[in-house]
Amino acid sequence: MADRIFASLLLLSAIIYSVIAFTLIKAPFQYDPLGPESWPRILGVLAVLCCAQVIYKPDVWDLKVDRNTWTRLAGLVVLLCAYAWLFQPAGFVIATFIFCAALSIMLGANIKASLIFAVTTGVLGYVIGTILLELNLPAGLLAFLE
Amino acid sequence: MDLVFSGLAQGFAVALQPFNLFLVLAGCFAGTLIGALPGIGPINGVAILLPIAYGLGFPPESALILLAGIYYGAEYGGRISSILLNVPGDAGAVMTTLDGNPMAKNGEAGRALSISAVASFIGGTFAVVLMSLFGPLLSSYAVTFSPSDYVALMVFAFASLASLVGKNPVKTLLGALIGLMLASIGIDANTGVMRFTFGVPDLLAGIDFLVIVIGLFGMAELIHLVEQQAAGTLKALKVDKTFISMKDLAFCKWTIIRSSIIGFFIGILPGTGASVASAVAYGSEKRISDTEGTFGTGDPRGLAAPEAANNAAAGGAMVPMLTLGIPGSGTTAILLGALLLFNVTPGPLMFTQRPEIAWGLIASMYVGNLALLIINLPLVGLFARMLTIPQQYLTPLIAVLAFIGVYSVVSNPHDLYMIIGLGVFGWFLRKLQFSLAPVILGFVLGGLFEDNLRRALSISGGDWSILFTSIDSVVLYILAAIVVILPVWFGIRRRRAVKGATT
Repeated sequence: MADRIFASLLLLSAIIYSVIAFTLIKAPFQYDPLGPESWPRILGVLAVLCCAQVIYKPDVWDLKVDRNTWTRLAGLVVLLCAYAWLFQPAGFVIATFIFCAALSIMLGANIKASLIFAVTTGVLGYVIGTILLELNLPAGLLAFLE
Repeated sequence: MDLVFSGLAQGFAVALQPFNLFLVLAGCFAGTLIGALPGIGPINGVAILLPIAYGLGFPPESALILLAGIYYGAEYGGRISSILLNVPGDAGAVMTTLDGNPMAKNGEAGRALSISAVASFIGGTFAVVLMSLFGPLLSSYAVTFSPSDYVALMVFAFASLASLVGKNPVKTLLGALIGLMLASIGIDANTGVMRFTFGVPDLLAGIDFLVIVIGLFGMAELIHLVEQQAAGTLKALKVDKTFISMKDLAFCKWTIIRSSIIGFFIGILPGTGASVASAVAYGSEKRISDTEGTFGTGDPRGLAAPEAANNAAAGGAMVPMLTLGIPGSGTTAILLGALLLFNVTPGPLMFTQRPEIAWGLIASMYVGNLALLIINLPLVGLFARMLTIPQQYLTPLIAVLAFIGVYSVVSNPHDLYMIIGLGVFGWFLRKLQFSLAPVILGFVLGGLFEDNLRRALSISGGDWSILFTSIDSVVLYILAAIVVILPVWFGIRRRRAVKGATT
């Protein structure tokens, strides 16, 4: 079933892709025999055929992921989104601290150890990243310290 | 031959500069550490560290030397988690667990680790030597390739991908198509027409290669690790004092040589990397030498075969990348993308136009393989300690590294959501038994494929028969057909044999 659902979604995107390729993409002049539209048309048609084949003959029926795992994965994605959301406004150190602490606690580390881990990662990561490797990381709320 | 020696001399002049030498060693060391981490293979390591290496602002040859060091270093390190934990880092290391783990269980962990290190060294070095001989030859031949020949080459690449990688060829093809479709997003370079941008300004230049790589190989791996986490605690076997002896070496020498050859040539085939090579090497070695049925119970030959093969394949996969601009495996696809980031176009002209990169890389691999052998024999205990890093700290670290990488290069917070989205997508693909390597291969080759097709048809004025006129292209189409038909034919024959045996 899993295969069919996923392939149907892919099929839908492939159909939209092909429709766009067949109707919307046009060059004002013909520069080369193929133009910008032929290649996407070829890809779109092939993708539709492949999706149809997977739907017709699926080989994965069950993802074999139990309820607890789904919850944990959902938690992970939520934490990642929160991290992405905080990354620039709050700055690397604070965002990383919150993310690392939350994720390691969620994955079963004890609270004291994960707080130490989170502080170290945030501060060390920032110091190594910006000073040693000269990478661009957001200072965010802690910008006044510089 | 002169060309090879002068090239090598030039390459060593680059690779032995103190800074580059340091990068080779650092890359190999970091690669071994990453490879030793359970569940993380070479492709994930290179993917996660690529943006950081790019952000450091090194010259292209130094960055490539570092990334390549991480690549074959991780290929080396993968055996540690396979042997001691029975958890392969990636598909290429699966075969190593079959005999490696039983050996460790029999109290010969040290012997297993040192045999595999020596086998890896021989396989890797063998591949680099062949690479320095064949690379310039192949590239001087490929200079004469016309656009239509390139189209044929690409068809061959995708044909061998579909038939040799993954269980279901349709899914592999679909994966490659997804990559090709993702690559078609953005402004068309020839006409300036916008394709699939939906008016979003961020998409005009297309989706960033780094974002795709980090999303599909970094974040998807992270989600996979969290998924596997509850599956029980892992117990690492101890590294003991047993060590490789001359007798072992003599016992395994033909195995290692045969497997290195198999590994190198399978590595050269576009799209098929270490996983196919180690499986084929193990399979054929089992057929040739397993006369007493000891394979699978801790036979050193069963350990040496896949290890020699996967390191030889890692070198072999570099050959088409450097000489033709067509990557031989998922990881070399990432390295190819890295070269493009540096505005270096890999391909037949690289040996003449940018010899410091092509030869510097090859020379650095000689140094790297030797360094890996030297640091791996005594320090294996240190690397083995990586296995006990608790997963609850490792997973957040991977996310932090991925975020640092993407943000420091792209500096666009929206791309952080993009990598999360791609990670979820990649995880589903993996769960549904799509392999991810075709996606990245498709993405990297998309532009090249389309450009050559359009150029070929421009030359002929729209006549498609130009694709089949040159001898080179016809030979490539025939090879493509063989690659597709042979496995099917073998499959039918085997099924018949099984039927014949049962009735």
